[in-house]
Amino acid sequence: MISILGSTAIAAAAVSSLAGLIFLLRGRGRGDQRLIDRGHWAVIALFVAVTAAVVALEVALIGVDFSVRYVAANINRATPLLFRIIGLWGALEGSILLWAWVLAGYAALVAVRYRGRHQETVPLALAVLLGITSFFLLLMLGPANPFGRLSPAPPDGRGLNPLLANHPLMAVHPPFLYLGYVGFAVPYAFAVAALLSRTLRDEWMTVTRRWTVAAWSFLGAGIILGAWWSYEVLGWGGYWAWDPVENAAFMPWLVATAFLHSVMVQERRRLLRLWNHALIIVTFLLTIFGTFLTRSGILGSVHDFTQSLIGPLFLIFIGAVLVFSVGVLLLRRDEVRDTGSLPAYVSRESLFLLNNVVLLAIAATIFIGTTFPLLAEAVAGVKLTVGPPFFNRLTVPLAMALLVLMATATLLPWGPAPRGALRRFVGPGLLSAALVAVLSVAGVRGLTLGALAVIIFAAAAQLAEFHRGARAVGRAEGQPYPLALVALFSANRRRYAGYLAHLGLALALAGVAASSAYRTESDHTVRRGEAFSVPGYLLRYDGAALSRHPDKLVVAAAVSILPPKSLEAAPSRPAAAVPAIATLYPSERLYPQQRTPIPTPAVRSTWRGDLYLVLLAVGPDGAVVLKVITNPLVPWIWTGGLLMALAGLISIWPGRRG
Amino acid sequence: MAGTARLAGLFAVIVLVATCAAVAAIPAFAQSSGLDEQVRAIASRLRCPVCQNESVADSPSELAAQMRALIRTKLEQGESPEAIVAYFVSRYGEWILLDPPRQGLGWILWAAPVVVLLVALAVAVAFIRRTVRPGEAAAERPESGGP
Repeated sequence: MISILGSTAIAAAAVSSLAGLIFLLRGRGRGDQRLIDRGHWAVIALFVAVTAAVVALEVALIGVDFSVRYVAANINRATPLLFRIIGLWGALEGSILLWAWVLAGYAALVAVRYRGRHQETVPLALAVLLGITSFFLLLMLGPANPFGRLSPAPPDGRGLNPLLANHPLMAVHPPFLYLGYVGFAVPYAFAVAALLSRTLRDEWMTVTRRWTVAAWSFLGAGIILGAWWSYEVLGWGGYWAWDPVENAAFMPWLVATAFLHSVMVQERRRLLRLWNHALIIVTFLLTIFGTFLTRSGILGSVHDFTQSLIGPLFLIFIGAVLVFSVGVLLLRRDEVRDTGSLPAYVSRESLFLLNNVVLLAIAATIFIGTTFPLLAEAVAGVKLTVGPPFFNRLTVPLAMALLVLMATATLLPWGPAPRGALRRFVGPGLLSAALVAVLSVAGVRGLTLGALAVIIFAAAAQLAEFHRGARAVGRAEGQPYPLALVALFSANRRRYAGYLAHLGLALALAGVAASSAYRTESDHTVRRGEAFSVPGYLLRYDGAALSRHPDKLVVAAAVSILPPKSLEAAPSRPAAAVPAIATLYPSERLYPQQRTPIPTPAVRSTWRGDLYLVLLAVGPDGAVVLKVITNPLVPWIWTGGLLMALAGLISIWPGRRG
Repeated sequence: MAGTARLAGLFAVIVLVATCAAVAAIPAFAQSSGLDEQVRAIASRLRCPVCQNESVADSPSELAAQMRALIRTKLEQGESPEAIVAYFVSRYGEWILLDPPRQGLGWILWAAPVVVLLVALAVAVAFIRRTVRPGEAAAERPESGGP
């Protein structure tokens, strides 16, 4: 029943999509406003139809209807409600449906928001969006049908991949990622529409700026939430493995970041028009490429829970989009002329160009490293691995260069640098020199010290700009300093939100640098009541307990954190009698759908860093083996990353002045 | 004026204190035994053969644990890290190296990003040289924010 409803909804969506394409293109060709209006309605109908399909699949998932193959393959009766709901993105077919739903949602927003405006570009942009949606609908009508039936219906399903059913972050990471990924389709559609319709002014850019920033923020949040999920669930104490699927999400984010900067040069100097078109096209292509990497089963990685035949279809689609986009770009390349000029060799504008160079070099490095093993195997038949050492060695120096550019470009004004511009470097320079001296006294050395110095300088430059602005506002309007700081955001939200995003980046990178350099890891075999110490902590194992849950068995070890000096103060006191500061419960979880138990780490975070415990084994004699990782400043990564995403959203939040 | 200077001072002190505290947070080189570190260093250069994109150092799998134990034994027997890595390469092939060797195909891998960077840099510099017209745009808009 649900199957039929769902399949009908997808068929209806495909019809709406094709009808909309025809209405919009014909209506625009003939200048027939009625047809164009119908096209807008078709977009809305498409969204309604895909929504109906999503609702149908959710009803099947929540109601454990195992006559639907997708439901039987991905959840079981014991799956808790939350994980039944998020079963929507637990596997291939559901993810494709989610992709189509988000895209249809964006298209509907565009159709509603720009009804009767931008007549030259909007119908074409909508047509592009419908074309992309059609591809995903085609996938669902063919090889990725989420409503395939299973007859007779099995009594129970297979259950969600335990790694996906193990942490609530799985409920937010994929939606944010998809909102970001798919969101770049909107600026892409407008960029192509502007080229096709010869509305070659910079209108498309202003129209889509908010969409681009929103997609960038969502994608950034999705990446950070994914890193956080992997840290909380996978149990190796890391958050980034340069896994191809992580890279697939990171590359479009990098290129979009380049775009957000070079767009400002276009706005101010009427330069880089062709370049910005190209950047947004590349960003969009990378999102499709990333979906292909993740969903075609071409990779073997922890994320890759699908094996399917849709790879070839994706390759054809990527090829078509590539040929179409590059074709349009080449067709109009002589008409997309730069009319402006740069005011000086050394200026914020020039630094933005270098920023583009570095961001693209990072993206290209990741692209090469990610695709090289695939190409080497396909072309030369050589199996090789490109792992973290490659990526780290090449991207870390580039990231440092990027931070230096970021600090410098923040401190330099637009246009030719005025006399005395160098004076602005004094404050942040002195401040960071002082902090670096403190760090070096504390024992930080070598490359870590160098990296932290650059990061601190980059942060100090942002703080200096906030300070300079707040002082000026305070002086001009007689406001007290904290109020003046807030007033900066209402006076020039976009600019100061940008600095806030920079600050977030510096925070996150400080966390990355510290946790890479000063992580400690050790294994301990301990008996109940036994105390043991790791750098910075005194711990005690308090025994293990078994508990039964509907969907799993959990063996949890209680590990208490004791005051560090408590045993030295009274050596005669038994460790078991010391009151604990906190107790952590690292566990092994056994899901019926998987034979081996999944170690689930327990993490205690403070602003200084994390204590990360993994239960490796429980012996028959009551002893346990614990892996203990201390990981300084890790929470800074989540804070900084989410601050960047938040800053993006702040900058586009509707208000008096955007 | 004096007020803002004081605020600036206060601001600097706050940041300084915050960062000193941050420094206090970084545990000074309290590292476990040198052998553990050496095992980890070698293990993180090797790909876990039965996992999906995990290093021997990070993988929870049985085989990775055995490989770590083997690395430890070999280190204790006095073998050099390079010899140990070479041993694993001879057993599993170069595929096991997370850091592909800089020879043959691997050479292309390492050179390509550098070439991209240099070309991009050259293009950017050429663009800047071509488009700079001092004075022309200078008076257009003094420093201010967005649109």
